[in-house]
Amino acid sequence: MKLFRMKSFLPFLPILAVLFIIFPEGVQAQRPIKIGILDPYTGPPAVYAQDALNGFKLALNEINKTGVLGSKIEFTTRDTKFKVDIGLSMAKELVMMEKVDLLVGTINSAVSLAVSDYARGEKIPFIVWISKSEKITGEKGHRYVFSTAENTYMAGKAGGIALSKKPFIKYWIAGDDYEYGHAIADGIWRNLKALKPEVQLIGQSWWKVGEPDLVPYLTSILAAKPDAVIVCGGGATMTNSLKACKATGFHEKVAVYMHTATDHAVLKPLGREAPEGIMGTMDYHFYYPDTPANRAFVKAFQDAYGNPPGFPAFHGYITAHFIAKAYQKAGVIDKEKFIDALEGMVIDSPVGKVEMRACDHQAVLPIFLGVTKKVPQYDFVISSDIVTFSGKDIMPSCEEIKRIRGGR
Amino acid sequence: MAIGWAEIFCQFLVGISRSMILFIVCAGLSFILGVLRVPNIAHGSLYMIGAFATFSISKMIGGTYGFWVALALAPLLVVVVSLIAERLLFCHLYQREHLMLILFTFSVSLILGDLVKIVWGAEYRSVSPPEILKGSISLLGASVPRYNLFLIIIGPLVGIALWLFTTRTKIGKISRAAAVDREMVGVLGINVSWVFSFAFLVGCYLAGIGGALVAPTVSITLGMDHTLIIEAFLIVIIGGLGNMWGALVGSLIFGVTHSFGVLFWPQFAIVFPYMSVVIVLLLRPRGLLKSVW
Repeated sequence: MKLFRMKSFLPFLPILAVLFIIFPEGVQAQRPIKIGILDPYTGPPAVYAQDALNGFKLALNEINKTGVLGSKIEFTTRDTKFKVDIGLSMAKELVMMEKVDLLVGTINSAVSLAVSDYARGEKIPFIVWISKSEKITGEKGHRYVFSTAENTYMAGKAGGIALSKKPFIKYWIAGDDYEYGHAIADGIWRNLKALKPEVQLIGQSWWKVGEPDLVPYLTSILAAKPDAVIVCGGGATMTNSLKACKATGFHEKVAVYMHTATDHAVLKPLGREAPEGIMGTMDYHFYYPDTPANRAFVKAFQDAYGNPPGFPAFHGYITAHFIAKAYQKAGVIDKEKFIDALEGMVIDSPVGKVEMRACDHQAVLPIFLGVTKKVPQYDFVISSDIVTFSGKDIMPSCEEIKRIRGGR
Repeated sequence: MAIGWAEIFCQFLVGISRSMILFIVCAGLSFILGVLRVPNIAHGSLYMIGAFATFSISKMIGGTYGFWVALALAPLLVVVVSLIAERLLFCHLYQREHLMLILFTFSVSLILGDLVKIVWGAEYRSVSPPEILKGSISLLGASVPRYNLFLIIIGPLVGIALWLFTTRTKIGKISRAAAVDREMVGVLGINVSWVFSFAFLVGCYLAGIGGALVAPTVSITLGMDHTLIIEAFLIVIIGGLGNMWGALVGSLIFGVTHSFGVLFWPQFAIVFPYMSVVIVLLLRPRGLLKSVW
């Protein structure tokens, strides 16, 4: 009986041997690349986290059709609830229990900085895709952290340059009282003051993140009669700020600049009711630049998820492409080789070529400055009169990075 | 910087208008606390559902009347949700100890929060105020949004309606009696379970009105429940547990100190309402007005 079984198996041996020769990679059984994603999937920031994940998934669907290193890229997500302690413990869980090859995330700068610190200790690559604190790839940067998001240095410099060309002297700064709000305010003010030393900061207001009613803040700012107000907030605060502007007629009395005021996720809920004439900077618009590459990305995204991509989707999308291309170049699933491959890598993106700068691991991305405006073709307000700042012009030089990192 | 009387007056009005929304929500919370002895953390979720429902209804109806219809219907939808929750879950747990109730209502708030995410999604929503309440008007040289003035009018109206309900209607009087001595009310042959259910729905209706009224002033997002519920509990505590007028006083303290804090010391505005809570509790640990507990 035993012999019989063996015999019936024998004819298959040559076939197996042939398979070994034809598909050597398949037989070496290259395992899938495992990515751990950290982001808040509950609470107000969930809208951004979900958008980034959708962009990432869209790119993975394209990438996994051909595969990477003879296998696929897989991912698993963890909810950070926008909290540093939870984000950090989730990162540890992903590394120790799920044994992920790299970490990706998150929208909260404080969480990203904490996870980045952990990633350095564990020697595991961590790609930041939405957080905008310049410390991530600046002062607190290291070999294991990368950023595919634009940061507060870039936004601050773009905002500073833009405002320095305006006639305003007396400024008021207001914003969300957390890492990102203060970082963006510092970035803009530092650059503005350097370019136009006569500007004065006559006051500041900081509200808690998620503060529902901003009307009292705006009415008190009006009392101080500044020429212009710089609002530094994120997410729902931006929609709240625009709503409060409209209710108080704030933007008709003083000039208002808000980084991300021109973000579609912020403007869309307000429909045609959003205030016009607010200056804002943004790193991605689905309607700009109007190039074939961007149109193709927007169409694919719209078909898959039923709505146009926001800026997080764009960052999620390029993150996936950076990862796939870096592994392909590295040739093996190895953390150190992956990092070497990713340094200086250039990919094609919906907004043109994007480089991952080798000296600070920061993606070189453009920033678009615009003014909110109603247009006939959309039932929401969009950014118009767009001026593009190229990434190279608004990023710190490699020497500057070296200096702020204390020569490292 | 020179701050004129006009700005102070304007800031005062804006502070009061915010207090009115807090008052309406806190009156409901306080009423449930007083009658049922349930610290209902899910109250914030009902407020959030009220806001989201206002968005959907006003969008569905559209036009000038959209918001007004939503203001009438959204709180009723909240009542339906709370009726289901009350009959299925709450009514079995009224006699449990407070720690258990806090854990229970907290879990209900998480469930409702996820339900909102399933029904409405994670996107930000916004409701425009009706045409007549858009923009701002000039009062003594300072501009105040019309909608905030509308809130200042509607707040006292809701307060008066609640006062009439609790003092002039039979069911209201029974509710108040149950708040003081529920065994006695039961002994008198009144169906306490039914009274509790009704009182619960009244409280939840107020949360729904609060949600509907706040909708045009903020962006409607997940998590607005948690922001509110902490403030609401603080207000109820400094006002005196279960005391409706305490909720009013607490809301006014909270709203006005906040808006003046913003005017005079904007960098530290966040601290002022909480400082006022600390001061009140140091001076009067059981709240400003008489607690029914």
